[in-house]
Amino acid sequence: MISRLREWGHRLWGTFRSGDGGIDEELRFHLEMAEQDAQRRGESAREARLRAGGTAQAAEAVRDQGSVGWLADFFRDTRHGIRLLGRSPFFTAFAIASLALGIGANTAIFSLMDAVMLRMMPVHEPGRLVQFVKSRGDITYDISCPLFHQLREELRGFDGVFAHAPMGRREVIFGDEPEAVNAELVSGSYYSVLGVPAVAGRVFDEKTDRNPSPVAVISHAFWKRRFGMDPGVVGRTFRLNRTVFTIIGVTPPEFYGVIAGAAPEITFPLTMDGEVRGGESWFPYNSRSWLSMMGRLGREQHLENARAEVDGIFSRIVQDEWRLAAGAGTREREGILSQRMRLEPAGNGLNVMRKRFSEPLRLLMGMVALVLLIACANLANLLLGRAATRRREIAVRLAMGAGGGRVIRQMLAEGLLLAAAGGVLGVLLACWAANALVTMMSNGGERLALNIQPDLRVLAFTAAVSVAACLLFSLAPAMQAARQRIQPALAEARGVERWSLGRVFIAGQVAISVLLLIGAGLFGRTLLHLHSMETGFESDGVTLFSVNADWSGLQGHELRNRVLEGLQPMPGVTAASFAMWPISHRGWEASVRVEGYTHAPDERDMAHHSFVAADYFKTMRTPVILGREFGERDTETSPKVAVVNETFMRRYFDGRSPLGKWVNVAGEPDRMEIVGVVKDIRSRSLRGEVPPTLFTPVAQREDPPAGTYILRGKVNAAIIATALQRIDAKLRIVDPRTLDEHLSRSILSERMLGTLAGFFGALALLLVCAGVYGVMAFQVARRLKEIGIRMALGARPVQVTGMVLAETALPVAAGIGAGIAGALALTHLAEKILFGVKPTDPATFAGACILLATLALIAAYLPSRMAARVNPVETLRCE
Amino acid sequence: MSNKDKADILQGTLDLMILQTVSTLGPLHGYAIAARVEQVSNGAIQLNMGTLYPGLLRLEQRGFIRAQWDRTENNRRARYYTITAAGRGQLEAEKTEWTRMAAIMQALLQGETR
Repeated sequence: MISRLREWGHRLWGTFRSGDGGIDEELRFHLEMAEQDAQRRGESAREARLRAGGTAQAAEAVRDQGSVGWLADFFRDTRHGIRLLGRSPFFTAFAIASLALGIGANTAIFSLMDAVMLRMMPVHEPGRLVQFVKSRGDITYDISCPLFHQLREELRGFDGVFAHAPMGRREVIFGDEPEAVNAELVSGSYYSVLGVPAVAGRVFDEKTDRNPSPVAVISHAFWKRRFGMDPGVVGRTFRLNRTVFTIIGVTPPEFYGVIAGAAPEITFPLTMDGEVRGGESWFPYNSRSWLSMMGRLGREQHLENARAEVDGIFSRIVQDEWRLAAGAGTREREGILSQRMRLEPAGNGLNVMRKRFSEPLRLLMGMVALVLLIACANLANLLLGRAATRRREIAVRLAMGAGGGRVIRQMLAEGLLLAAAGGVLGVLLACWAANALVTMMSNGGERLALNIQPDLRVLAFTAAVSVAACLLFSLAPAMQAARQRIQPALAEARGVERWSLGRVFIAGQVAISVLLLIGAGLFGRTLLHLHSMETGFESDGVTLFSVNADWSGLQGHELRNRVLEGLQPMPGVTAASFAMWPISHRGWEASVRVEGYTHAPDERDMAHHSFVAADYFKTMRTPVILGREFGERDTETSPKVAVVNETFMRRYFDGRSPLGKWVNVAGEPDRMEIVGVVKDIRSRSLRGEVPPTLFTPVAQREDPPAGTYILRGKVNAAIIATALQRIDAKLRIVDPRTLDEHLSRSILSERMLGTLAGFFGALALLLVCAGVYGVMAFQVARRLKEIGIRMALGARPVQVTGMVLAETALPVAAGIGAGIAGALALTHLAEKILFGVKPTDPATFAGACILLATLALIAAYLPSRMAARVNPVETLRCE
Repeated sequence: MSNKDKADILQGTLDLMILQTVSTLGPLHGYAIAARVEQVSNGAIQLNMGTLYPGLLRLEQRGFIRAQWDRTENNRRARYYTITAAGRGQLEAEKTEWTRMAAIMQALLQGETR
């Protein structure tokens, strides 16, 4: 047994070692001795040699014994392939570059898909985690603290549940310098249910919920960035608002929180919500829904059983709420009854990004796959060409007795070399590209904390793609090469088949790129429409920012008034205002009652309710159609007023003036008088109709909401920051951005798709042109003699050019036809993302086809010129 | 008996022949081994190079013989094969097995002829 292992060890070693240990000399010696012996015995030397057998066969047999046959063949093929590829550096460089682009693009998009959609959280048994989703109709809501507590007490089928609430950027102070960190509130069970331990110190546990104390757990990334992984960090303190917190532990490096893309740097106990928020605790309020809730299913528990349990408990809770709301209107009470609590698998984290990016990513994945297909078709074509020029070599090998399989393997080895090189380069390219894409997805804002380190899945994907690509582009040429008959090849085949494999590939490539170009065109037009649509405001020259006043004594109305008063006189500023959510269709949906209008029983009575400060419409340059906008005179004590948009006026007043009429919002005590009508404001993220919208002055609210300041004029962040310092030295500017930047965040996925689709479309076009050029140039080169004869017989250069172009036009036309058919079948997949353009937009289709046909013919024109310049005498003399 | 038939007989016994020859006669080059086998078998077994040398390499790879370049009496360079300790062990084991097998075959064949 051991001796067998030794034998194979030697053979494996012998496979890689060069040289044969002098077998030829040994065999020569053997023959000489045999001849001498024969002579001594009086026999002929020839007979002795016959008895000893052939030297070549013996040497081959020894070589076989000395190595592992197929492996040796493989290495021989590889070495041969490297030599061949080295001999045509242009082809090799082109092949590797186009493969690297194709594979790299696939890997990059896949690693994003992996990070956004597939990757499971690095926690204990992520498959058993579920998210609780509360909904009312088709709108989902967060969960209130009392509801969380009630569910936690009553649920039995779970190994634990927890709640958490992202708090966004908060300013904390270690020593003197404030710094912004990503904060999150989590219940004590958060870490134990997830099964995430501390790498230093300890994490929160159930006791944390029972004795509220100002403690915090920091993430590994923050530990590294801020403290250089100092083990003494446990026990350090920092201030947040007016509370001093103590760090009690650090989470493991692979844990990014449960919300993909928003990794918390510091987590606080849920019980500290008031301290972290810098206001009152929202714990007791049934009406405040601010928590996300997750749970871990019991080990033997099925999701369906857990759903049934949650349904049972929740419907009882809803019934109680319904009974308590006896005084409310029927619509309100029906709304209560329509509440549902769903359970959804949450093993890969709560992913706000999944919803937003999975559709675009899927489309992009399709596009890059098509780009790679084109690259493969191109290579297949080039390899076909090479195989044709190597017909003699291959024919000789076949004649010498090499099997067809051997020839195929040899050519596959060459393809595999190219694919491997392309794959390795592609992974490098993908690392860079995925990074760039994340930057693009973060869109100028805070960088998304996406883990895009290529993991095993990504690398396996790349390897699979590379091998598939290799098979795609080298199998057809290899098969064709091995099929060739020895005789005609040696005699040099003439005749050109009308539908050679090469032209089929061209037709395929053209079809795919038509599809890609149409996609790019549709996304591009969507972007154009989004940019050129009537918005109802002017975004140029507007700067937005928030203010952190935690360290100043200012707050509420006073803070806002002081800031606006301080900023308005700044040089260059023409208007300044404030809004809770500027130009956004985030906001409150409120049930309204309007003077002189009665809602039908099943009519939707919701309007959009937005809070803005004086001069908001002046600052946004939104035309005021009737009446006036809010001004200094609208204060807490003055009569309550409202401004409505055109849609509101059309809906409730039939287009007649609503000035002087009253409107009432559910939950607000006072009626408001409508004092103005403004043009509809349409943000680009809004695809549908503008909702009826009601604006009320933020100055008239009892609890002034936080919001965003808006400046029109030539200012930058530094100037604003200085102006703020003059108002109060402790005010700081937060997240300054231009309105254009702010808005582009809202059409991020469209922009991403539009830009990348354009890029991939261009890439496809480039590859197709290179392919057409390559194939036609090769055809012309092969047919020089035929062309020479034609010209000798009187064909004019124009006719030759026409002939070559006509030969290109056929596959290109066929490809365009197939591409259009494919596009008709596929573009509706992107319907949801398109805006202002139909998936079958004829102009886009026509444009893509014309562009492609033109460029393909130009690519074919160059070789056709070459053909036309053929000198018949020279070509005929060549042979 | 054609050459092919001879090769068939040799299957499995080649190793034994080589080991036995090298063991009794000491360091030998490939031709000497072939000549010795031919002589002992009265010319019935003629090892051609394509059989002998892969066999020698296999035995060497398995560690039963050792090969070394040396000079012949006529001062020619040749590769000499020597049996190793492992080779002796293997030879003993194979001899025993061969004798046992031969006895069985003998008994079987005699039984049939009777």
